Amino acid sequence: MRKPLAAVALLASGALTACGGTSAVADGGNPTTGGTIIYGHVQEPPCIFGGWIQQAYISRQVLDGLVTLDEDGSVKPWLATQWTVSPDGLKYTFTLKDGVTFTDGTPVDAAAVAWNFDYWENHGGNGTAKVSIDPYYKAATAVDASHVEISLHKPYPPFLTLITQGYFGIQSPTAFKARTEKENCEKPIGSGGFVVKEWKHGEEVVLTKNPDYTSWPATAKHEGPAIVDEVRWKFVADGVSRYASLSTGESHVVYEVPTVNWKDAQSRYQTIRYITPGKPVSFYINTKVGPFTDKLVRQAFAYGADRKSAVEAGFHGVIPYEGNPAVSQATPGYDAEVAKAYAYDPTKAGQLLDQAGWTAKNANGIRTKNGQSLTIKLVYGAGFIFTQEGATVLQVLQEQWKQVGIDVTLVPATQAELWGGKYSDASTFDATPSYWTSPSSAILWIVWRPSTEASPNGSNRSFYNNETLSQTIQRANSEPDTAKANALYGQAQKIIQDDAAGIGLYTQNSTYAIAPNLKDVWLEKSQGEPVFSDAYFTR
Amino acid sequence: MIRRILSKVVASVAVVVAAASATFLAQLAVPGDRATALMNLQTGQDKKWTAQELAPLNAKYGFDDPIVVQYLHYVTGLFRGDLGTSYTQKRPVAEVIGGQLLPSVTLTVAALAVAWLLALGVTLLTVKRGRILSSLGSAWEALTASLPHYWVGVVLLVVFAVQLRVFPIIGGTSAWGTVLPVLTLAIPLAGFLGQVTRDEFTQVLEQPFVTTARTRGMSDLGVRLRHVLRHAVLPAITLSGWALGALISGAVIAENIFGRPGIGQVLVTAVNTRDLPTVSGIVLVVAAVYVVANLLVDLAYAVVDPRLAR
Repeated sequence: MRKPLAAVALLASGALTACGGTSAVADGGNPTTGGTIIYGHVQEPPCIFGGWIQQAYISRQVLDGLVTLDEDGSVKPWLATQWTVSPDGLKYTFTLKDGVTFTDGTPVDAAAVAWNFDYWENHGGNGTAKVSIDPYYKAATAVDASHVEISLHKPYPPFLTLITQGYFGIQSPTAFKARTEKENCEKPIGSGGFVVKEWKHGEEVVLTKNPDYTSWPATAKHEGPAIVDEVRWKFVADGVSRYASLSTGESHVVYEVPTVNWKDAQSRYQTIRYITPGKPVSFYINTKVGPFTDKLVRQAFAYGADRKSAVEAGFHGVIPYEGNPAVSQATPGYDAEVAKAYAYDPTKAGQLLDQAGWTAKNANGIRTKNGQSLTIKLVYGAGFIFTQEGATVLQVLQEQWKQVGIDVTLVPATQAELWGGKYSDASTFDATPSYWTSPSSAILWIVWRPSTEASPNGSNRSFYNNETLSQTIQRANSEPDTAKANALYGQAQKIIQDDAAGIGLYTQNSTYAIAPNLKDVWLEKSQGEPVFSDAYFTR
Repeated sequence: MIRRILSKVVASVAVVVAAASATFLAQLAVPGDRATALMNLQTGQDKKWTAQELAPLNAKYGFDDPIVVQYLHYVTGLFRGDLGTSYTQKRPVAEVIGGQLLPSVTLTVAALAVAWLLALGVTLLTVKRGRILSSLGSAWEALTASLPHYWVGVVLLVVFAVQLRVFPIIGGTSAWGTVLPVLTLAIPLAGFLGQVTRDEFTQVLEQPFVTTARTRGMSDLGVRLRHVLRHAVLPAITLSGWALGALISGAVIAENIFGRPGIGQVLVTAVNTRDLPTVSGIVLVVAAVYVVANLLVDLAYAVVDPRLAR
């Protein structure tokens, strides 16, 4: 099944290139108002808001945040025009923009903002928002109608950066409490540039412009309500047809351009490639059960395959290799030196395995120790975390690991299995690749916080409890000086890399192709959500 | 007569409820926890949650209740016409399915009709029409029957939507946009139906009554249409009952390529997210389609072969 698929994709891309008559990114043309943007997205979320990035993409169109992230990584005003931080770093007081209302007519006031924080943190409103600011968050209170105060247990400078993520979109408490769960799921009420007009399940979400929009972020490319009338957010799961729909004018923007089509897209459309900050697609290595409890074997595993070449070939040079397992190259505080470790060296891998006592080899060339063969169970999310191309990369690596005597069993896991918890126990896998987007190195705390009886951390999928690492990250998280904080984050990355508690693979990317006559579609900085409220067509 | 119909109806209802029940129970047996899956779906994570974090969901949906209680609750709901509420979409399952049923039925019925037209056309025109034409016909059937849907869909898309621009790529449920998805499903099915019809057709053409008909001076086309076809279509009719059921849930590939709503897509998503009431609801609907389809097949038999009506 795999081969014909690839062949067809090539055939399709060839045909598309051949028929292409549109000129590449032609500038100029007169701006127009109105019109409908048709956007081809991949995955349909269960609800319009939530803690999964698939929900953040679309909730960003409807809900505004308190603050937003600028291109240079600085935090800029949005619903909050300004804010002050108390000298001890424990109190953030936000001043809200005057006269902003939700689309149900109620005011975006301090009480509403405080209610949202309380909902995320204490009422299961958004698990990802919660975990991003846990355990620093203490409480949110309305000082008066236009001032909201958020207090923390410990200083946490990344706090502002973290709340720029789409998960922190502010909803109308009045609407939320008065309506049914279904209505809130399908048509959340915010103060954003668009409102949900209709959700045709299985097909599209129709977003219509909010004519009374007053709360654009400081990073907006124009002031005022959206220029277009509507955005039709279509779900087109198949890459070939999604990309082809641009060439026939059936869509104006598409998400996730197939990597085989990337060069073609660059020559014909405006393209944006966004490297997601946070944890890249890297392997969690089970340090609790199995052969990887031995650090030498983990390191041999890292040396044993040419991850860089496999990634570059597998993704046609579009997706960058990432040698740093802890944070991706787009993350503030990324340590590029750490990323260089474990360049492909099969000889070194062999030596490490010898040292670890895996000296004998069986008939298939797999190393053995005390009669046990060196078998690694690698579980990956097939079809949702890993695309077909990603799976091909794993197969190439599997072949190379075999050369150094490591027998890797690839276990494609369905979404139901992986998310249902089939592979959450330490006895069920040896390595599993995964990513987690976040605009801050504080992601290290979410992922690598030690898991204890009193405070379990299910996100620490390497089962790696290292007290030095924990202390280093906590110091970094509370360090007011950015340079010092980054040095500490760098140390944390080095500990993880040196111990091979994780192994790097590639960055999580978002790619977009945009029709030449649609201008000012941009991606917000924290997670790469597309912004359509500034976009306009030219004629 | 009334008793026969009544017993048939009772049996049909039993089949449908049994299918939904089996699905319900089978899903409970799948490893992994529903509350965990829901939490991970809401947060995009793949982690293990603490009992404390899962408690609200377990309480809300009754995941902690004994399986017997959960099952009885589900089945009694079925008899009240309540298929339950989707865990993920927060909407009644009847509404989740209802919105997708019409596009699926349209696609399936149209695909079946087009497949029949194609199959009959090729059969009538090529069986025993000289070696070249006959082999061309059977080669065409063998080829199309073995084509994967994805391949057919993409080729149709590239040729008719991208190159010739006759049909849209993302056509939704519009009539024009339905053409390519229908062909994507119909072409391989036509090959399949054609193959079984051809074998039968060839055999029947050699029967003495065909020679008799010809000696009466009947035209070749007349013989084929009036006498031979009637015998030859029976296996294909049987297959159609199966095809109708298989297509309604198996159309997901065509739906994905052409961005079309439908039950197939909902089923795949629901299975992935362990949305048990939705999966069971769809299986129930598909089972009902099978039951109705088989009933229609029985009727069609009686029409084609009067001996069975007696």
